[in-house]
Amino acid sequence: MNKQKQAYRELEASCAPPGSDVGLHLLGGSARCSVGLRATASMAIETLVLGAGQEVGKSCVVVTINGKRIMFDCGMHMGFLDHRRYPDFTLIDPNQDFNSAITCIIITHFHLDHVGALAYFTEVCGYNGPIYMTQYPTKALAPLMLEDYRKVMVDRRGEEELFSVDQIAECMKKVTAVDLRQTVKVDEDLQIRAYYAGHVIGAAMFYAKVGDAEMVYTGDYNMTADRHLGAAQIDRLRLDLLITESTYATTIRDSRYSREREFLKAVHLIGIEYLESAGLGIFVYKVHKCVSCGGKVLIPTFALGRAQELCILLEDYWERMNLKVPIYFSAGLTIQANAYYKMLISWTSQKIKDTYSKHNAFDFKNAPHSSSLDVTVQKFERSMIDAPGPCVLFATPGMISGGFSLEVFKHWAVSENNLVTLPGYCVAGTIGHKLMSDKQAKVDLDANTKLDVRCQVHQLAFSPHTDSKGIMDLVNFLTPKHVILVHGEKHKMASLKEKIHSELGIQCYDPANNETISISSTHYVNAETSDTFDRSCLSPNFTFPKCSSVDTCNSTIMDKNLMPMIQVEDERVSEGVLVVEKGKKAKIVHQDELLLMLGEQKHQHDTMSWTL
Amino acid sequence: MAASDSGDTSLLSIVLFAVEEKNVYENLKIRSHLHLLHRHRRSHKPAMADEDETLSLRTLCTMRSLLLHPSTSKRTVSHILQTLTSSPHPTPHSLKLLSDAAALHPDLAPSAALPAAQSHPHLAVEAIGSALSGLHLDDARFTSLCFGTSVPARAWMLRNAGLSFKVRPGLLLAVLLGFTKDPYPYVRDAALEGLVGFSERGGELKDVGLVDACYRRAVQLLRDVDPCVRLSAVRVVASWGMMLAASNSDTKAYWSNDVFAKLCSMARDMNMKVRVEAFNGLGKMEMVSEDLLLQSLSKRVSGRGKQKETVDQRTSEQFVMLASSVAGALVHGLEDEFFEVRKSVCESLRTLTSLSAEFAREALDSLMDVLNDDSPVVRLQALETMYQMAINGRLKLHEKHFHMFLGALVDNSWDVRYTYRKILKVMKLNNLALFKSSNDRLLQNLDSYPQDEADVFSTFSHLGRNHKKFVSMIMKDTFEEVETALEGNVEFDSARIAALLILSISAPLLDADVGRIPPVMFSYAVTFLGRIYNAFSDIMDRDALLACLCEKSRSTEYSASNINLGEGEQQLPLFEGDAPNVATNEVIDLHITREPKELANHQIEQQQSVHDDVINFANYILAKPPDMWPSIQSGHTNEVLRSLRCLKELTTMKLGSSGYADADADALAFTILYLRVVVLLAEVWELLLPAKGLRSQRIGKLEFKLGKLDRRVKELISRFIGFSAEEELNLLELMLLTCALRICKNEIICLNHTFKRLSTLYSRVETILKESSALRSNFVVELGKVLSTVSINGASCSPFQFDACLKFFSLKQFVFHGSIKHVNAELSIPNNDMEHPLPFVSGLPVGVPCEITLHNILSESKLWLRMALDDGFIQHVFLDLDRFEGSEDVRKFTFVAPFYRTAEAYCLALKVCIGLECLFENVGPVQREEIPVGGEDKDNFLPFHSCSNPNSLRLKMMSTWEPVEIEVKRSDLSIIARCHGFPMVGFRLRIPVRIC
Repeated sequence: MNKQKQAYRELEASCAPPGSDVGLHLLGGSARCSVGLRATASMAIETLVLGAGQEVGKSCVVVTINGKRIMFDCGMHMGFLDHRRYPDFTLIDPNQDFNSAITCIIITHFHLDHVGALAYFTEVCGYNGPIYMTQYPTKALAPLMLEDYRKVMVDRRGEEELFSVDQIAECMKKVTAVDLRQTVKVDEDLQIRAYYAGHVIGAAMFYAKVGDAEMVYTGDYNMTADRHLGAAQIDRLRLDLLITESTYATTIRDSRYSREREFLKAVHLIGIEYLESAGLGIFVYKVHKCVSCGGKVLIPTFALGRAQELCILLEDYWERMNLKVPIYFSAGLTIQANAYYKMLISWTSQKIKDTYSKHNAFDFKNAPHSSSLDVTVQKFERSMIDAPGPCVLFATPGMISGGFSLEVFKHWAVSENNLVTLPGYCVAGTIGHKLMSDKQAKVDLDANTKLDVRCQVHQLAFSPHTDSKGIMDLVNFLTPKHVILVHGEKHKMASLKEKIHSELGIQCYDPANNETISISSTHYVNAETSDTFDRSCLSPNFTFPKCSSVDTCNSTIMDKNLMPMIQVEDERVSEGVLVVEKGKKAKIVHQDELLLMLGEQKHQHDTMSWTL
Repeated sequence: MAASDSGDTSLLSIVLFAVEEKNVYENLKIRSHLHLLHRHRRSHKPAMADEDETLSLRTLCTMRSLLLHPSTSKRTVSHILQTLTSSPHPTPHSLKLLSDAAALHPDLAPSAALPAAQSHPHLAVEAIGSALSGLHLDDARFTSLCFGTSVPARAWMLRNAGLSFKVRPGLLLAVLLGFTKDPYPYVRDAALEGLVGFSERGGELKDVGLVDACYRRAVQLLRDVDPCVRLSAVRVVASWGMMLAASNSDTKAYWSNDVFAKLCSMARDMNMKVRVEAFNGLGKMEMVSEDLLLQSLSKRVSGRGKQKETVDQRTSEQFVMLASSVAGALVHGLEDEFFEVRKSVCESLRTLTSLSAEFAREALDSLMDVLNDDSPVVRLQALETMYQMAINGRLKLHEKHFHMFLGALVDNSWDVRYTYRKILKVMKLNNLALFKSSNDRLLQNLDSYPQDEADVFSTFSHLGRNHKKFVSMIMKDTFEEVETALEGNVEFDSARIAALLILSISAPLLDADVGRIPPVMFSYAVTFLGRIYNAFSDIMDRDALLACLCEKSRSTEYSASNINLGEGEQQLPLFEGDAPNVATNEVIDLHITREPKELANHQIEQQQSVHDDVINFANYILAKPPDMWPSIQSGHTNEVLRSLRCLKELTTMKLGSSGYADADADALAFTILYLRVVVLLAEVWELLLPAKGLRSQRIGKLEFKLGKLDRRVKELISRFIGFSAEEELNLLELMLLTCALRICKNEIICLNHTFKRLSTLYSRVETILKESSALRSNFVVELGKVLSTVSINGASCSPFQFDACLKFFSLKQFVFHGSIKHVNAELSIPNNDMEHPLPFVSGLPVGVPCEITLHNILSESKLWLRMALDDGFIQHVFLDLDRFEGSEDVRKFTFVAPFYRTAEAYCLALKVCIGLECLFENVGPVQREEIPVGGEDKDNFLPFHSCSNPNSLRLKMMSTWEPVEIEVKRSDLSIIARCHGFPMVGFRLRIPVRIC
């Protein structure tokens, strides 16, 4: 069935003469055809950027297509504590009647800057409509993230509670889970579909179609696979609009290999100070250097994503280099998250999927079962903190704001042999933040205790976002009619915008927050067809007209008159004539019939016709 | 049972038809059908089926059985076909039957199926397909079917157009091209696939315009919505693009670049298969401009084309146009999520690197990174690509690559390591540091994966040969290491030493110029012969290697100026060819005595299963030579020798491959020796061929070869025991042949002696033949006739008579029964090294403690120790086996051998070997049979007193299998021996002796 559908779509593509606004759309069965007329400005797609417009943070875009309003992402800004933290929802509807103003909310992934304001919007602002996100990963992990955030805000900083635990749970009840590539009919006219986006487990790009207008909102995505997640995957669609992130609008990243090469080399030349900002390399190098000196490595991480990626990386490296130093996971959330990951194998990269049947990559080799392998990822007990000998420990929370990672940090920070790695971003006020700003320092644990930090500190630099080449490639692949850039820095977005416009010839916009962009959309009108036309549609009738090579843009390269160009044209569909009579449904007839019809309807002056 | 279905009226008529066929009636059990028929006659009028009835399954079954039956007549078949095709409502079953019927009766199919295809557009395509395949479809029909309204039929026609029927190429092409515009993706796909097929079949195309059109159309379809269309479009772009490029040499560069860019632009397609196909296409490029190639390795669009003031403005203009689609394509491919894509990129690099040296250099960086890939398949492919680059001379390693490149050697995948070594074998390392680290890594490889030994050795051998200069540069260190290891007699890493020896000797092995390699290295190498000879198997076999090493070790070119060698060091004399066997003894009445064969048989039955394997293998090998005999006779010696060497190689490998039980090793040892005999026989035979004539040089060679053959055959029969009558007969026949050859070809001088041997052998053959039921071969019969005509002393014997006999000889297959044992002995002198000399007083006998291990030596055998001084003095000591314990299978004991002639010398070199008295054949009073000493040789020292003198002679225990012929007389305890010719081989020992 699907194939047939595609066939028809393709027919449309092949029939529409370039530059013309008229397209032929065959809809199932040979008896009925419909012709699309591109809609006028009244049928526009309006994009209201509530967040992540020329900035990174609080992603939130409200798109109105053919009367439907979809909110893509509902994030919060981690950098602000005042009202700027959340998108300005009042712009959606001055009367705050969100239920009638918004058809549905779509969340791309569970990062707080994409989901952070959701509970607030639903429970505090009172939105009750449907929410869509991907099946397990996002739906399962988003409440964890929200709760984590709420705790930090309320319990640690003593701020006013914006939403409660119960409200998070309540909010999650409104969520409908979707699977990858599953088409969901939100209502009669609105269809949405999720595509794999890489970036983080469960991240998806969303395709939305209302009537004949189609669009894609990418969320955050990655066009190259990393060690545990695959690259974004999407079909070639005929889009009116593509809204894409542009975090790295001007960066072109090196190959993943070259980053890894540097670290492997560095590891082998231990003792040579190596300065390279590449994330993985320096990380593994430092870890190796540290454990080879008998030191302990503390890797405070968020529960998800990074910990798994680092662990896969280390494990792979351990195995190759035949290292015996144990790798530990602190009990609790990380282990739980591993369990999630095991469940979510379909969201991971091809390699992990391929090897899944033999060995689950997230089943970090636990000692008792795999005697042949010395690489062990084990559960860490409190008693092991002061045990001698090198080890690597993954512990939560990521910013050493408390909990187990703080406990371990207190013990290990005093030795120069040890190493602490920090995530790329630490909230102000956490120990992680202090360490980052002043690496060798005394840290005030509380009013009475000061800790003399002597251990080495390494800051992780990872990027699960696509680079500018990746954005260009995606835009080029999808070739939408319009592109809107969000989630990036202003000046960089401007340069990318220019590039998309000049290189790909696609209209591109980079709205600021609270701006609205309006573009025209496609709208098709159904038309009846005459039998003669139907028959002629079914029989191929192509010709090979010759034309001189005018369209070869390389006029200096090839002799213009070297050869006449042969082109292929299939006349079967271009023979139709669209007849629109006032008060009647549009009809397509075969051109032979037109004269007849014209003869009959001489008196009618308001008949319009197009030759397709 | 009752055929209630109205469709059975068709059955009725068919059965009616069938019944008319008498043979069908007889062969096919059609009675029941007949029965049915009658029943139907009662209820129906026998008429054709109604328009709207369907055929019942039962009817179809009957039809099928009729169709399948070979004797069903054509009429019946065509009737069935007609019924099937005229059925207005075809079911899947009837269509299937129709397609089967068409396949079974292709001659009848078209008439039936074609109308069906036209009148029923919804008829399944497969049915039409099989109906049409294999028949000639004229152009008109082809087009009418293509342009019909049935879309599946159209797709099918396009897919099969080129393969199944012969449509005019021009028409076919036009149709294919036209349908690339079809609204249905799978028709477009089929059309594109048809185009690919067209170019693959090498369709000749004069019309460049048409090629151009196809190419452009495919380029347009690269942006198709449907992935399968994109996939085929990529294939068309690759194949037709190449055709377009090839069509005009002026524009070839332009179009090649264009194709390259179009394919590169697909590197970021979302469909994995499309990407794979795009890179496969890149692997077929014949020409791409360097700028574009380099651009494909960098994601950033470079201004390369602009900067370079290119001579050709076209090219730079084109570069600017294409650069952005090419940018980073290969890098993206190499970091792709799917290993299939990464593998394909590595594969395509193989071709692309051959296009530009600059690109090869740059690509190598990326390729090196791939060695760190997590998929072994990809790593392997990357190495294969490097191998190809090395062969093309494009593999230029830099220091920065060392780490990654050499790391592959300790990879845990065998294939990766193997391929890596394959690269090392062919590549030219461009600096000493890399050479050294390669050696280190190889040794590390050897250390971590001992199972790689054979190939590592072979790699060392190639490395040495390819880098003579570097070898000589590291020679000093190598020599010191080897020497320390071998002199110290401490636990040393023998694999490592063997590897170093291989590296050192491989360079000058084929070269007359030994250069700076100390000759003693060659002598050392001899001691490792068994282990290392495989490393040279590509250039010489074991024997040749030994000969070569021996020769080199005597080289005088080397000056020991920079390497500290003992002054007294002399190179060991090694065996030259054998002295001609001059008979001095007249005794001829020796009987050939063999031990009863049954003796050792019982033990072999154990371990039967493993053993059977080996026996089967041996028999498989041994079955080959008799087949080759006609080729040998007709002079196709080279082919025969080649295959024989292969067999030998095979057997040697099998022998070396794992620890077999003794019996198995024995069987394999026998096989090898037997093959050697056949090789010699073939060589001799070639020299005998009349066409080639006997020139003087040839005669010399013949003599040498005959001598060698003689020895080998003797070795064959006396180095093994436990032959069955049949087996022994086989070997005796070989001996007879050898004697006959000697008589008629070259042994004029010692005719009598040989003749006597021949008679003795013949009488032995007679005895065996009488005892067993074996048949006499023609050769033996003829030989018997000749022998009966000549007098007993051979005075009247004429070589020509024997010549006639030779024609009757043919090689019989030696069938192994598994009871053959290898007679073997090992000798070592324990506890003697520099620090533990053996003292002696000049003029008094000295006791030499020998540790001796004997395998399969019967207690009746007589063993001798032979001790030789450098000046040619030889003393034999009898070994009384009764004095030593042990079974006949294995005896291990220590024997203190007295040596009497302790001259007044500063030091003495003594060579000791062990030999078996051979009581068969030959004319001497006592015969010696060589007993070789196994491969576990170590250097031995047997000095007197404590010897810290660096000038003391080195003791070399030589393992050599070349026999020395001597003759021995025996007195009670001591032996007085004269050297004059019987085989004796074994363990040689030089004993440095110092006067107190």
